[in-house]
Amino acid sequence: MLIKDVVCPFCGCLCDDLDVEVENGRIIRVDNACTLGSKTMVGDDRLKAPIRRDGKGWIETTYDAAIEEAAQILLDADRPLLYGWSRTHGEAQGIGVHLAELIGGVVDNTSTVCHGPSILAIQEVGHPGCTLGQVKNRADLIIYWGCNPIDAHPRHMSRYTTYATGFFVKDAHRDRKVIVVDTRRNESADVATEFVQVEPGGDYAVLSALRAIVRGRGDVVPPSVSGVSREQLVRVAEMCKNAKFGAIFFGLGLTMTAGKNKNVRNAIELTDELNRHTKFIISPMRGHGNVYGTNEVFTWITGYPYAVDFSRGIAFYNPGETTAIDILRRGECDACLVVASDPAAHFPKPCVEHLARIPVVQIDPHPNATTHICRLQIPGSVAGIDAAGTAYRMDGVPIRLKAIIETGVPNDTEILQRLYNRVREAKGE
Amino acid sequence: MRVILEAKVRKKPFLPIEAESIIPRNFLKGTDLAVYEGNKERKLVDLFRISVEGTAVTPEKIEVVLKGDTSRVKRIGEYMDAGKITISGDVGMHCGNFMSGGDIEILGNADAWLGREMRGGYILCHGNAGHYCASGYRGEKTGMQGGRVEVLGNAGDYCAEYLTGGEVHIHGSCGDMAGVEMKGGQFIIDGDATRPCGNMKDGTCMIFGTVRQMLPTFERIGTKKLPDRKVTVTVYKGDVANRGKGIMMVKGTGRSDE
Ligand code: SF4
Repeated sequence: MLIKDVVCPFCGCLCDDLDVEVENGRIIRVDNACTLGSKTMVGDDRLKAPIRRDGKGWIETTYDAAIEEAAQILLDADRPLLYGWSRTHGEAQGIGVHLAELIGGVVDNTSTVCHGPSILAIQEVGHPGCTLGQVKNRADLIIYWGCNPIDAHPRHMSRYTTYATGFFVKDAHRDRKVIVVDTRRNESADVATEFVQVEPGGDYAVLSALRAIVRGRGDVVPPSVSGVSREQLVRVAEMCKNAKFGAIFFGLGLTMTAGKNKNVRNAIELTDELNRHTKFIISPMRGHGNVYGTNEVFTWITGYPYAVDFSRGIAFYNPGETTAIDILRRGECDACLVVASDPAAHFPKPCVEHLARIPVVQIDPHPNATTHICRLQIPGSVAGIDAAGTAYRMDGVPIRLKAIIETGVPNDTEILQRLYNRVREAKGE
Repeated sequence: MRVILEAKVRKKPFLPIEAESIIPRNFLKGTDLAVYEGNKERKLVDLFRISVEGTAVTPEKIEVVLKGDTSRVKRIGEYMDAGKITISGDVGMHCGNFMSGGDIEILGNADAWLGREMRGGYILCHGNAGHYCASGYRGEKTGMQGGRVEVLGNAGDYCAEYLTGGEVHIHGSCGDMAGVEMKGGQFIIDGDATRPCGNMKDGTCMIFGTVRQMLPTFERIGTKKLPDRKVTVTVYKGDVANRGKGIMMVKGTGRSDE
């Protein structure tokens, strides 16, 4: 059976034009997706049942027993951490936040290690943004700053920028100029009109210099800024001012290098400055399929997009203090629930070491690095494959993920709801 | 009156304690105060051995002395308005948040957000201070507005972010982006600083050590002799990127490419 217009749940592009062929309840072919996308959809190797650590090895257990054990671990904790959420659907994320409130825990999502700083910057100065459709139809200048879409968001260029024909941009390849700014020449730089190579850690200074040039104060800028010549900066500033519609997309090269949120803030303020001359927007290249959704869901429930601490019964937010990495590095939390992410593979060593010391429960369909340090793993179905749910694209557009096959595995919403109910019952509420 | 609080040894010593109730004024009514350990509410006496010497009728006459391991105790002195707090060791985050009067003296190190959004009073830290010392809160456009913060050691990154009024004096060095978004007040760094005063709008920052990675958007407007320091500083105005009118004074030229 051929299913059309399927959404790929892998990266923040959430491409919604996949053709998927299903036979006997299995996905056998995927068309239109990039390699990352097809790998997610076909040949997905999952746990068959919940597993728990028993002495030396793993034993299979039932969903009921697993949920009971998970509830006990959370109830016993003085500072439980509930982390992950970016690979599951909004409905499950919502229950996760309510669970955190119920047990007085800290709930954080993967933005803590990707675009958290972008959000901090947006909270300081706002977000001149737009949807990807606007970019596709109008933008004649694209800037990729500190990101490599060809590797990380393979269809971003073909669906929305460099190679995409838009309503006002008929001949994309000729009409759209592309500027790539990075510390090293990446694959995306090869298709760029202009490549700006910045010394590591130099983005903030380059952005400040561009702001000064755009507002006519190029006279104070020294001949070279973090390895970039003043001539090139002036040329880039002119290209930006002369564009009809410019769009800056940025990645971890800005958010996770020295200066973090201040780098992003500087980029937003450059966008502001350019809006005195023409139309300009800026947007983060969100990584995980539904990481933007975690920010939306957390915000509408708690008022804050990530790193929410409920230990005093009310929501408190302070990245650097209530973020998962900081809590783990300080050894604060005494239990952890990991949902739909793999911290053991991505977190710094001291954080993973602390995770290995405390009881960790993981809700995830796949065996991963976190499996090695968890006490209990409960597999759920995958949003976009065998579970339906809502996800948010990197530009904040909600997209409905379809269940394209039927596996009978409970989805994350059901598992979390049962866990929530069990905890609530035990607390006598 | 002296109130001595000695931290007891805890089963989980890494759990943070939130203790905004520890301000001199609160001890006028006794020592039956609540603090939080992780997600549990506790009595002050559960976590500290308490002894009280003498009596007082105004908070000005109260000194609170903290002893033992207080490195995980957060928010000590939050909203403090009078009296004195002495911490013999290290102190956790947010010490002296929103403080408007009185003195805090820390003999050890202070964790992040020391004197956050402070309005008045004096904080003296003998050791090092963490990140965001004397700064604002996330998304807040006004940082410290008054009072004085003095750190005898070094400070971490983003020290005096959004400084709006009052004085911050770091005797050692600052980490990255000291004085970023400054809007007023006076900021003195005796040691080194990296990328100071980005996006500064107003206020004065003086740096007597080495400036690393001076930002390209500060306009040199001359030099000035500072007789009490016996040095000549180069005076910059900026941040030009932000139409700023702030003043940054740097010993020597501060710029490596000149
Ligand atoms: S670009 Fe992203 S969303 Fe689109 S097919 Fe590839 S992995 Fe999936």
